[in-house]
Amino acid sequence: RHLGHYPSLPPGYQNTSAPHATPPIHPAMQAATQPYTQPPGGPGPAQLSPSLAAMSLQSSTPEALRVVNLLQERNLLPPAPVPAPTPCLTQDLQKLNCSPEVFRSTLTSIPQTQSLLNKAKMPLGLLLHPFKDLSQLPVVTSSTIVRCRSCRTYINPFVSFLDQRRWKCNLCYRVNDVPEEFMYNPVSRSYGEPHKRPEVQNATIEFIAPSEYMLRPPQPAVYLFVLDVSHNAVETGYLNVFCQSLLDNINSLPGDSRTKVGFITFDSTIHFYNLQEGLSQPQMLIVSDIEDIFLPTPDSLLVNLNECKELVQDLLKSLPNLFEKTMETQSALGSALQAAFKLLSPTGGRMSVFQTQLPNLGVGALQSREDPNQRASAKDIQHLAPATDFYKKLALDCSSQQVAVDLFLLSAQYCDLASLGCISRYSAGSVYYYPSYHHQHNPAQVERFQKDLKRYLTRKIGFEAVMRIRCTKGLSIHTFHGNFFVRSTDLLSLPNVNPDAGFAVQMSIEENLDDMQVVSFQAALLYTSSKGERRIRVHTLCLPVVNSLSDIFAGADVQAITGLLACMAVDRSVTASLSDARDAMTNAAIDSLMSYRQSVLTIQQPGLLVPACLRLFPLYILALLKQKAFRTGTSTRLDDRVFAMLQLKYQPLAYAMLMIHPALYRVDDLTDEGALNINERTIPQPRLLQLSVEKLSREGAFLMDAGTVMYLWIGRNCHSNFLTQVLGVPNYAAVTATFPYVDYLLPELDTAESQRTRAFIGWLRDQRPFFPSLHIIRDESQLKASFMQNMIEDRTESALSYYEFLLHLQQQISK
Amino acid sequence: MILLTMVARVADGLPLAASVQEDEQSERDLQQYQSQAKQLCRKLDAQSPERCTLEAGDMNFHLLIAQGVCYLSLCEASFPRKMAFAYLEDLSNEFYDQYGKRIPTVTRPYSFIEFDTYIQKVKKSYVDSRARRTLSSVNTELQDIQRIMVGNIEEVLQRGEALSAISTKASNLSNMAEKYHKDAKYLNTRSTYAKFAAVAVFFITLIIYVRFWWL
Repeated sequence: RHLGHYPSLPPGYQNTSAPHATPPIHPAMQAATQPYTQPPGGPGPAQLSPSLAAMSLQSSTPEALRVVNLLQERNLLPPAPVPAPTPCLTQDLQKLNCSPEVFRSTLTSIPQTQSLLNKAKMPLGLLLHPFKDLSQLPVVTSSTIVRCRSCRTYINPFVSFLDQRRWKCNLCYRVNDVPEEFMYNPVSRSYGEPHKRPEVQNATIEFIAPSEYMLRPPQPAVYLFVLDVSHNAVETGYLNVFCQSLLDNINSLPGDSRTKVGFITFDSTIHFYNLQEGLSQPQMLIVSDIEDIFLPTPDSLLVNLNECKELVQDLLKSLPNLFEKTMETQSALGSALQAAFKLLSPTGGRMSVFQTQLPNLGVGALQSREDPNQRASAKDIQHLAPATDFYKKLALDCSSQQVAVDLFLLSAQYCDLASLGCISRYSAGSVYYYPSYHHQHNPAQVERFQKDLKRYLTRKIGFEAVMRIRCTKGLSIHTFHGNFFVRSTDLLSLPNVNPDAGFAVQMSIEENLDDMQVVSFQAALLYTSSKGERRIRVHTLCLPVVNSLSDIFAGADVQAITGLLACMAVDRSVTASLSDARDAMTNAAIDSLMSYRQSVLTIQQPGLLVPACLRLFPLYILALLKQKAFRTGTSTRLDDRVFAMLQLKYQPLAYAMLMIHPALYRVDDLTDEGALNINERTIPQPRLLQLSVEKLSREGAFLMDAGTVMYLWIGRNCHSNFLTQVLGVPNYAAVTATFPYVDYLLPELDTAESQRTRAFIGWLRDQRPFFPSLHIIRDESQLKASFMQNMIEDRTESALSYYEFLLHLQQQISK
Repeated sequence: MILLTMVARVADGLPLAASVQEDEQSERDLQQYQSQAKQLCRKLDAQSPERCTLEAGDMNFHLLIAQGVCYLSLCEASFPRKMAFAYLEDLSNEFYDQYGKRIPTVTRPYSFIEFDTYIQKVKKSYVDSRARRTLSSVNTELQDIQRIMVGNIEEVLQRGEALSAISTKASNLSNMAEKYHKDAKYLNTRSTYAKFAAVAVFFITLIIYVRFWWL
């Protein structure tokens, strides 16, 4: 196999090898007044002759603008995961600024005018993770929440106090009065220091809302489960796992004494369960009229969990056996959803739908649209758009009644996720997909389903939520990405909000930001907690305004840009075509690098020159092109592709980045050197490796972390030490015997190596709320293909290698 | 049918608990009634009448104030007033038992939203017609509904009048009536006196005439 070495360098570049990273001179540096300083870091300068070092006025350039020639520099990945860039603000402001994990901008320096932004050719937008689980969150209770009188901005750390009694809004610049109550600081118990209040000291804060923020009394937590019990569903055996999981977690469902639950099952008919207090056992009610669905006993289908817990538990215990012998193969999902909507609409709440096949009966029935022969086609992919608007319409109805629909799809066959997904997308739900789920044949999926369910059932939840994003006058938000419904121009309606949902928005500059030093963005999320409290979580981000292209490039956040481009590309592939979206992504890289070359670089050198902060940009774009969502030429099932697209749109950036560009570590030689120490556990920190087969070796073992899935690749000649101490097998051949097909658990051995490996994998898993399954891969494993497909830098039959891609970019740029 | 129940603190109108019964037909109107109920709670003060009924179209708001807490329910006009107040009494007893001590200290709206569970249970027993018959016989003597003030919700809310204004007006009216009654009585007595006096004068004159002329 071709081992991913670069093809021999074109003759023109071969002789430029001497100084590895010759720092070209930057226009801004020529005016700099402090030459002769040794540059702080960066590879290469140590080898430079003194005269060269003297010429390099690098010290005045920020590290982000150090010029990198991608055709020459290979080891671009930082040793640890790429950190978010820090906005160029004064320290006082930066100290107060919102965490990049919650609120991130593609450009950490905002251009002054739209024309400047157009010149830079980079997308301007925000990426949010507003309901992230936070370890520390200040909560304020006060009868008046201080807001700007004209634009309704919440008071935040970036407002200015004109004097003790007046403050100036940082979004619309209106001067407001400080209310009397605000003069008192409850934290320090002192009077007359409004600028020391917690609202002004924290960029992320939560308010307990007074009753003006409620249209109706806070709703109780209501959970309705809609379960597919057709023959196909029973075959997969998911009901057992679901019922067991719910039984285990029934006491940790978020809620209070008002929490309500209900169950609906369906095949070709709809089954309701009467769980009314006082019954000796659950009563099943079958409605076979699926054309005009009605609720048999509206009062007793949704019951108070605390009062009817025993009946609920009885039902969960008997449910898997109830349909064991069913021969019903049809699925009337549409009617079941309508019934569930009717049941939930008086209160609102969460509907969890479990579906295992294509709905083929009654309203919302779908046809198979996938042609398996076209899966690997390099031509355009059809059927990315929904086949019917039934699911979208129903989702909008749900949204207006504060009902969110979460879809769990467990299926081996095509289910038309493109149509079904709409039910969650517009009602602010989430979609989980377990392809080829089977309780015996696919234990890895079963474990993932179990862990996901546990997280799903116990995670925090916000009901009847709305989110509004405001930004400084002059900027405007025009496109939103994520799962929600846009109710008015800037108000997102979120019937449920969960801590694993991410959002992205695109922005444009409407008016010049001439005399502004900084601009601010504020996201406010109003929700009802599961305890019936109305709360407002406010995040405020402050960014500097710049007027030169070089500063814009210096502030580019390559991960955020990639995340936003991915969202835009998903939209483009649905509205236009996949090839259009692919071209758009490549062009995005070409355009911005070309703009950099033409407008920022003064000294033209051969090669593909990029600023250091964008050095990973071409790699990420290539990774996107090879991602399941956008790849062509490689066999991809339509549902897999659509699911990848949905994930790119609603996952928070950190998880989406792992999906796009997985992390590769060598794990057979873990040491405690540079290890982290968390809760008295030592967690080794191996180096990030490039995704190229060249980096693999037969003697090692490698861990690939692709977000929702992890692969442990064992080399054929792997050290016997690793095999015995970590895997507990005597030799390589035994790996096959001990870990049949796929496996997902490392044996718990009492050796230092085993502990290190498990600590590292455990640490990676702890960083995300969902559970990534672990597959052990050998040369002959079936999953080797999916592991190798993530080797983004290598060439495949249908896609360019990284180096070829760079040459392609260079060619386009210098054209 | 009891459509909406709300418990609020009289001192500042802070809602403490609520229960909403939504069904498909009345859903839109209910929004409006909810905001009316909220406004109403804000207008309460110490002078507000302890019991009163406010008419709002084909619905009635029934209000009961006890121990500084206002219990309000929205019922269809056909729902017997006696029942509505028995229901509110029931709520007030249970609510005060459960949360009485904490009522003055809370600041968060709907702090006792969990009371909803109890409200729904009680509501069921009052709405269910079979249970209603037994209840009503028990509660007959409890209620002296004639004394309950009746007003119109529009007047209270839209003219911006405090709820107490109705009661002031009503008591003014009864004062006036009393005064009128006294005045009338006084006038009556006076006219009776005058009649008597006239008759007396006539007789005296007659006696004198008879005595001096005839004798």
